[in-house]
Amino acid sequence: MHLLIPSARLRQVALLAGALGAMALARMPARAATTPNPEADRLAFRAYFKQRFPAVKNGDWGNGPYAVNAGMRQQWEAIMQFPPYDFALGDGEKEFHRRFADGKTYADCFPDKGIGIRQNYPYFDTKTGKVITLGIAINRCRVANGEKPLNYQKGLMASIEAYMAHTSRGKPFDIKIPNDPRALAAYEDGRKFFYSRRGQLNFSCASCHVQAAGQRLRGDILAPALGILAAFPIYRSDWGSMGTIQRRFTSCNVQVRSVPFKPQDKTYRDLEYFLSYMSNGVPITGPGARP
Amino acid sequence: MLAACVAAMLAPGLARAATKTEAQAALAAARKAEAAAGAVRNRWLPAEAALKQAAQALAAGQYDGSVAVSERARALANRSIQQAKEQDGLWQNEVIR
Ligand code: HEC
Repeated sequence: MHLLIPSARLRQVALLAGALGAMALARMPARAATTPNPEADRLAFRAYFKQRFPAVKNGDWGNGPYAVNAGMRQQWEAIMQFPPYDFALGDGEKEFHRRFADGKTYADCFPDKGIGIRQNYPYFDTKTGKVITLGIAINRCRVANGEKPLNYQKGLMASIEAYMAHTSRGKPFDIKIPNDPRALAAYEDGRKFFYSRRGQLNFSCASCHVQAAGQRLRGDILAPALGILAAFPIYRSDWGSMGTIQRRFTSCNVQVRSVPFKPQDKTYRDLEYFLSYMSNGVPITGPGARP
Repeated sequence: MLAACVAAMLAPGLARAATKTEAQAALAAARKAEAAAGAVRNRWLPAEAALKQAAQALAAGQYDGSVAVSERARALANRSIQQAKEQDGLWQNEVIR
């Protein structure tokens, strides 16, 4: 397939990803689909990144680009003296403890009153057969208590998530895949999406966050996929505001000229399920800040 | 010789302006292809942009331009469908094992 890759940077990443892909291809001919084995996948995923970036400590994967680049690390340490997510964190805390009209609060909707539980999301709901992200759970709570659902990408949703992540800092991702064929199918759907090339530029998530992890793309250092969701929600200077995982998925799809899905579409929920499972054992660092 | 043949084949097409009906048909075909790309969860932004542009040209009575952009949109949609079909088999090669 002939593809126009506009910027020299993207072309470089494409070449790199292509070269690494070709190496993989040389080792193994096209594979037939096999029965999913999430735990074997996770161990291989982890081992791959540990080998690529031997200096990164387990607690640091959640710091994305800063974990793998010394120059960026310094910049980050400067930013973190006055973390730009502090306002959102304060708003989130206030909102989290606000009483709804019926007298209840968010705490009534969650296990452990919603404190220190972010690492358990998303989970697979065996009742509805769907992946439930933290965002979905927050909006469900609101609607059940007579409040309007929030925008899934930014604003108050990001603030509430910032607070919930903050109370969970240091707790390792602990995503479960129950013994239910639908849960395994959701995992596999996310896995396929992560590794499939898409968009006019023909990149997969893995092209950038596996093969080209740690490389520079325009002004950014590409975050390694291990622990890539642990810092969410994040404040990004180029957004000028906080953004959720759903917001990030949207902009990464747009970058490769792919039409993004609606926030919390099944595709994105399954993707989040897969990526979070891959990060089991990596501690939550959110909320995060990025240049 | 070949060039002359091609020119002879193309000439009538170039000379005649597209009608509104033809422009509508070209747009409908492009939309159908893009819907099929959506069904395999792989729509491309440039295809969407071309569809919009084709609809605007049609509304403005620029039928030739509209047909040309619709055809581009359809080609892009077909490539995205082809990409999705190829990836159905190829994604496994990128998996970390
Ligand atoms: C063309 C390269 C490219 C592709 C393809 C891509 N991304 Fe990204 N992604 C980026 C860039 C650039 C950033 C910002 C720098 C960074 O943090 O990695 C980013 C950031 C992210 C982040 C935030 C990391 C952090 O620590 O702030 C997540 C999560 C993410 N991408 C997920 C995905 C997923 C999931 C896909 C596939 C749907 C994807 N990306 C595809 C380039 C890409």
